[in-house]
Amino acid sequence: MTNPTPLIHVVDDDESLRTALLRLLDAAGFNARGYASVGDFLLQPPPDGPGCVLLDVRMPGPSGLDLQAALLRQGNPLPVVFLTGHADVAAGVQAMKAGAVDFLTKPVEREVLFEALRRALGRDEAQRAGRAEAEQLRAAFVALTPREQAVFDRVVAGQLNKQIADALGIAERTVKMQRAQLMKKLGATSAAELGRLAERLQHLPD
Amino acid sequence: MCRAKHGSILRLWVACWLLLLFAPAAPAGENRYVLVLYSNHRLLPANLEFEAGLRETLGESAELNAEFLDYPRFDGESYMRALTRFLREKYALRPPAVLVVGGEGALDFVLSHRAELFPRVPVIHAAVLRSFLKSRPRLPADMVGVPIEYDFPGTIELALRLHPHAGRLVVVTGASAQDRAWEAELRGEVSRFRDRVSAEFLAGLPTDTVLKRLSELSSDAVVFTPGYFEDGVGRQFSPREAARLLAAAAAAPVYGPFDTFIGTGIVGGSMPNFAAMGRQAGRLVNDRLAGPGPAPPAAPHLPELMPKAVNVDWRQIRRWDIDPSAIPDDAIVRFKPPTLLETHATEAVVAAVVLLLQGGLIAGLLFERRRRRRMELSVHQQRCELAHASRVAVAGELTGAIAHEINQPLGAILSNADAADLLLASGADRRDELRAILADIRQDNVRASEVIRRLRALLAKQPVDWHPFALNDAVRELEPVLRAEARRRGVGFELRLAPTATILVGDRVQIQQVLINLALNAMDAANGLPEARSAVAVSVERDADRLALVVRDRGHGIAPEHLPQLFDSFFTTKPRGMGLGLSITRTLVEAHGGRIWAESSPGAGAVFRVEWPAAGGAGTAEPA
Repeated sequence: MTNPTPLIHVVDDDESLRTALLRLLDAAGFNARGYASVGDFLLQPPPDGPGCVLLDVRMPGPSGLDLQAALLRQGNPLPVVFLTGHADVAAGVQAMKAGAVDFLTKPVEREVLFEALRRALGRDEAQRAGRAEAEQLRAAFVALTPREQAVFDRVVAGQLNKQIADALGIAERTVKMQRAQLMKKLGATSAAELGRLAERLQHLPD
Repeated sequence: MCRAKHGSILRLWVACWLLLLFAPAAPAGENRYVLVLYSNHRLLPANLEFEAGLRETLGESAELNAEFLDYPRFDGESYMRALTRFLREKYALRPPAVLVVGGEGALDFVLSHRAELFPRVPVIHAAVLRSFLKSRPRLPADMVGVPIEYDFPGTIELALRLHPHAGRLVVVTGASAQDRAWEAELRGEVSRFRDRVSAEFLAGLPTDTVLKRLSELSSDAVVFTPGYFEDGVGRQFSPREAARLLAAAAAAPVYGPFDTFIGTGIVGGSMPNFAAMGRQAGRLVNDRLAGPGPAPPAAPHLPELMPKAVNVDWRQIRRWDIDPSAIPDDAIVRFKPPTLLETHATEAVVAAVVLLLQGGLIAGLLFERRRRRRMELSVHQQRCELAHASRVAVAGELTGAIAHEINQPLGAILSNADAADLLLASGADRRDELRAILADIRQDNVRASEVIRRLRALLAKQPVDWHPFALNDAVRELEPVLRAEARRRGVGFELRLAPTATILVGDRVQIQQVLINLALNAMDAANGLPEARSAVAVSVERDADRLALVVRDRGHGIAPEHLPQLFDSFFTTKPRGMGLGLSITRTLVEAHGGRIWAESSPGAGAVFRVEWPAAGGAGTAEPA
């Protein structure tokens, strides 16, 4: 799995500020791209690589908060850092509730900005890793035979081997064998671990 | 008719009888009638003063009558006889209880004619020289008085006091026996003043010579004379006449010891005081009136001489330019013209009152004018204060927009500076990029300063600045702030300026405030509306004779019942409004000679129009 350089999407209507931010990020070794408005950003193909969004709050047309909401709706996992000219409490609370990484005020100290962006990129990376692991798990789960899946469901529900054998009308020995088989396929070593895997499978997006 | 006449005569008779019956009969023992016999005529100041002193002392207790012998104007045997007969017949039925004689002439007259005139009436003499008394036989016991004496050294003393720089004392005397006696006396007296002045005598010379000598005197001389009765060539004078001639001729001030000289042209002298003589005579009269019967009480307590007083002629004081402060405080100043206040007291008081009233009226009017001006000023100032307070309040509302306007360039500057820092740290040669960064920093700095400058112009508590300005420019200047605020509120903002001249005379900041108030109101109205209607439009419009500032919104409009109160103070429909914005706005507009009104159809938004008559004709070109 190749890991391309993360890209920071800078959305700000103020050209001078946007240029300055892009310069700064570039000089600090970040990879950044600028957009003059929310519409500009949305017109681009949705980014699928790692990265985050550095977003102004007040802009002509849709605001930064609108974009954040749209990304959530689309299931786009890009983390958002807000950078606003005037921090008003209501906008800040709304942004943080909707999962923003930080809510910064212009003019911003570069270390504060970099730290927030690093956290955002870190969160993105973690989310990506989690998603990759879940994909793997789902693939493994899908690879189970129907009988193995049935046994899995019951093990996770906390039934004993004997109960499972009675319910499925098979021998308890067969249950034991299939249970060992599916644990091997899913890479689990105990019933408790199976439970955690089941929980994660349930929370995966379709 | 005949009967009536008799009746009236009868009535007259009865009246006369009644009068006689009830008239108060004066008892013989209570005669309080005093006759004063003066030597000279009635208008002599000495006589007037004497009588004033006499009356003051007698009070209401005595009845006073006066006769004047009118010496020296009238004299001679026949005059004396006629006068004696006249007085005798005049006072035969009403003899006085006491007779007062003033002066040597009167005393002499009474001594000669007492037996015919007032044989048993006690006599009080006054203003009689001691030397005169000494030259006569001793007076009867019922004739008493305090004699007087002339004060030669006191008069010379006065002359030297009033002329402190005098170096010569010239003494003029005559040739008669009396004159020689005075000369002898004076030669003795002047030796006292030897160390202060040099004395010289013009004694027993012909009058012409004396007058010539006196007319040639220098300014450091003073003249003293008792007058004379006879000059060196045998011409007869009264001392008074002599004094008059001498005073008229002399080139130096003349002083004399006799009261009679006052008014002849002499400056003054030390003389017995006539009012005091009157008071002294009055006391003696009171004693006689109180005494039992005509027998006079013994008078061992009588002073030997009357005290003297300094008399000066005010006209001579002025003529010789004498320092008035050198005149002794107790001196009697004659011929001093009464001041205006003394002669015209009523007129002076009336004039003063009129002046005072007039002054008061003028002061009152001035005060009133000042008060009005102050009030006008204070109203004007209040308007400025209110306008300022409302601008500050508006600035509070605009804080978000302003902070955004300033933080935007500041953010860019900081980021650019940081970027440059990092570029330099990287060591790579990226001069072009650094140059571009510096240019951007400069530009953003200017941008931030501009915001602050505009803000300061808006908020400064400056005096009203009345100048022509272009409405277009004033509106354009506010555009960034209003646009930022609209963006902050998520409201559309549209601005349309007039294509032609928009010159208005007035205070630019106040007009900007009008715009801010109206625009913020419109944004409030647009708040929470669907996006299609959430917009505010500001326009400057100009036609042939009007200049207008128009602010439109597309909100819910104004309820018709609210339209009339819209511009009243404290009228508001906003939950947290003060109700002052539109009231102040109207005040400012009207102060600029304009008018403001609102038009609204409910549901279709509101239009606020501010209109001014076009200033200076439509042709005023606006600088591009």
